[in-house]
Amino acid sequence: MNVAGREQASGWRILIAGTGGQGGLTIARLLCECFAERGHQVVSGQLHGLAQRGGAVQSSVLIDAGISPVIARGRADVVLGLEPVETARAIPLMSVRTLVYMNTAPVLPFVLAQRAVLQEADAEYPPVEQLVERVRAVAPDTFSLDATRLALAAGSGQALNSVMLGCLLGAGVLPVTENEFWSAIATQMPTALRETNTQAFHSGVEFARKRCQEPLLGGSPR
Amino acid sequence: MSVARQQSLLQDSPAARACLLGNLAIVRGALEAGLQFFSCYPGTPSSEVGDTLARLAKDAGVVFEYSVNEKIAVEVAFAACLTGARAMCGMKHLGLSYANDPLSTMPYVGVEGGLVLVSAGDPSAITSPNEQDQRRYCDFLYYPVFDPATPADALRMTRYAFEFSEATRLPVILRPTTRVCHSSGMVELGPLPTRKNEIGFSKDPPRYVPIPDNARRMRVELTARLRHAAELLQASTFFPRRGHGRHGIIAGGVAYAYAVQVIDDLGIEDEVTLQQVGAYPIPAGVLDDFVQSVDSILVVEELTPLIEEQVSLAAFRCRRQIPVRGKLSGHFPLEFEYSPDLVEDAVRDYLKLSPRGIRGRAEASGPDRLKLPPRPPVLCPGCPHRTSFCMVNRVFGKHTVYCGDIGCYTLGYGAPLHACDVLLCMGSSITQASGIARMTGRRTVAYIGDSTFFHSGLPALLNAVLARDAITVVILDNYITAMTGFQPSPTTPDRAAIEPAVRGLGVQEVFSADPFDEEAALGALRQAERGTGVNVVVFHAPCVVNQRRTAKGRRRTSFAINQELCNACSRCVRVLGCPGIQVVDGVYSIDAELCDGCALCARLCQRQAIRPVGAEATA
Repeated sequence: MNVAGREQASGWRILIAGTGGQGGLTIARLLCECFAERGHQVVSGQLHGLAQRGGAVQSSVLIDAGISPVIARGRADVVLGLEPVETARAIPLMSVRTLVYMNTAPVLPFVLAQRAVLQEADAEYPPVEQLVERVRAVAPDTFSLDATRLALAAGSGQALNSVMLGCLLGAGVLPVTENEFWSAIATQMPTALRETNTQAFHSGVEFARKRCQEPLLGGSPR
Repeated sequence: MSVARQQSLLQDSPAARACLLGNLAIVRGALEAGLQFFSCYPGTPSSEVGDTLARLAKDAGVVFEYSVNEKIAVEVAFAACLTGARAMCGMKHLGLSYANDPLSTMPYVGVEGGLVLVSAGDPSAITSPNEQDQRRYCDFLYYPVFDPATPADALRMTRYAFEFSEATRLPVILRPTTRVCHSSGMVELGPLPTRKNEIGFSKDPPRYVPIPDNARRMRVELTARLRHAAELLQASTFFPRRGHGRHGIIAGGVAYAYAVQVIDDLGIEDEVTLQQVGAYPIPAGVLDDFVQSVDSILVVEELTPLIEEQVSLAAFRCRRQIPVRGKLSGHFPLEFEYSPDLVEDAVRDYLKLSPRGIRGRAEASGPDRLKLPPRPPVLCPGCPHRTSFCMVNRVFGKHTVYCGDIGCYTLGYGAPLHACDVLLCMGSSITQASGIARMTGRRTVAYIGDSTFFHSGLPALLNAVLARDAITVVILDNYITAMTGFQPSPTTPDRAAIEPAVRGLGVQEVFSADPFDEEAALGALRQAERGTGVNVVVFHAPCVVNQRRTAKGRRRTSFAINQELCNACSRCVRVLGCPGIQVVDGVYSIDAELCDGCALCARLCQRQAIRPVGAEATA
């Protein structure tokens, strides 16, 4: 794998950051199943506090990268950010080598409403542009997109995780093509969901393809 | 798709490799060992073990029960193993403490069929009121303890633990921690058994009755069994060693996985000898050999310095004056779980490698300056507990002491519901209310859920009745054990009812209401507030998330806010703490995706600005 023109140490360390109910755990599970089936060494970890909708959820997928389920500081190869604040929360795991796909649609934390009525400080959701900027300052290969809008355009906001998976597979950094990956999943999916998620997945693939052809880091080709 | 994975747990595909969640690897290991009985009380992070077996039990020929509490789960499992059955029992670390009474005598009596207690640990208290180190049961109550670092370890340790338990007649503990339970990794599947243990109970009172005379004999036999256990562990594969470097590193649990990772990342394989500790008590032979083959030692273990103490003893025993770094030496923190970063910093210091660059640290401190809003857990939109708390607050006011308990309703803690002034453990709401009411002379309120009430609230309530304490026990019955993942509770329809149990204990004043029926709920609470002695208010209303999950209840119509009527008085947010209500730039709105249509906010709004979706525009 070649990210930002630098050699990858060994394997792939992918972090999925989002909130409960966004489908991040499903992304992790699908990646695990796909790569375990293909004979890779896969490890995955999830961390969520009390299992509640709306809480922060981080999951890791490590492919051929050892036995520890926890990604160390600065060692994520790819971050899929399903929510802007949660993507920024993952900054410590990023470095200049990290490829980031970042959804720009916020899920408002409930504490903000409380802070607003009690007239406490920090009652505003941080400006999304600022969050993207902060992430990009650490990981120059950060691509932001309104993935929630793409999912809705495909038929359901629930297909957000399919859009983000599309970005990951479309980036061409994993040792599997997007068609190989998706065909295995689509056959297992109930017909009612298949069309929406397939469209969502391909809109993610298309986004990653388009953006990856643009010159980055002072014109170094990807 | 999750169903397909569970089915594969029952497929006989020896030598196949699969990617399994740690908790599912434990299930597979038990099935490969010929499991015949399983009991548990759910508790994060152990719950998936029981939930998976609940679904597989019938096909796998396993007798299964969700027990009323952990002490009961352990006792039933122990009795099952006395009939020759291979039995397993699941719980979290706190549950193991709750079961300490039977636990302390079981090694004396000894097992017939293998008995494995899976007790998941929670370093950093991620979903618990404390962190504790169950490895200490090895010398505290004479339990061999297996300590997996990965799902692969979890599978093979579980499988071996049954045969080990039978060989030594000792019950054993398997202690995975959150990072093992909730991580997936590659495991190697073994064959499923074609035969299981024969079942039967042969009367032999001197063998099974620990009256003092027998107990003293058993104590001596126990020493012999422990000696046998140490020999088996010494010969086992759970203490692998890698490398021949003069820098020793010894590690257990998930911290071993971190150590492996760090050694690989730093490329220092040639400089270190890495020793894994996979079980306790650590065989003396393993430790003596290790301390004699290295010049210094770094101990990498979470929670208490157990390995560190044993290593120091071994060094003393072997007359090896070598430096030992760990928690006691100040090189690792005494609290909380470790991380690869923490281990890397300690290893760099140990090998005198340069610390990580300043740039790395600046990146790490980035989000601090960003002030990212937190996402603490909060009661779900439509949760009946929120309604119950609001009703109680209206009647009992803010000066009453509210004693909380363990369950979703603990989230009533803090603003704006203020429904938890004290908390300790399962069932403690009622006992704490007793103690406070008896000393202050003021009526005190206890909140307890249905599953927790039957877990340990029953004797507490009887205690209060006998003492005639001025307490009001509010039982929040949502028919399910919600917080740990919707396991059935004793009040799941067609099972035990709360009211007859409460009356049977001698409570005279028992009121029942639907908390969403405001008149009935307030009426019940007012009578309770004026009552004498112990009284009980039972609020019955199903968990909304479970309703939606099981598709039994049709979703209620969401509500919306009429912007012309809303005067931004903020009452709805200040009183209810419902995550469905948002405030952006001073404008109040309801997230239709989140709103469950409980109408609590609509009833609260004095301007009738909150209305069902579709009707909100009509002023």
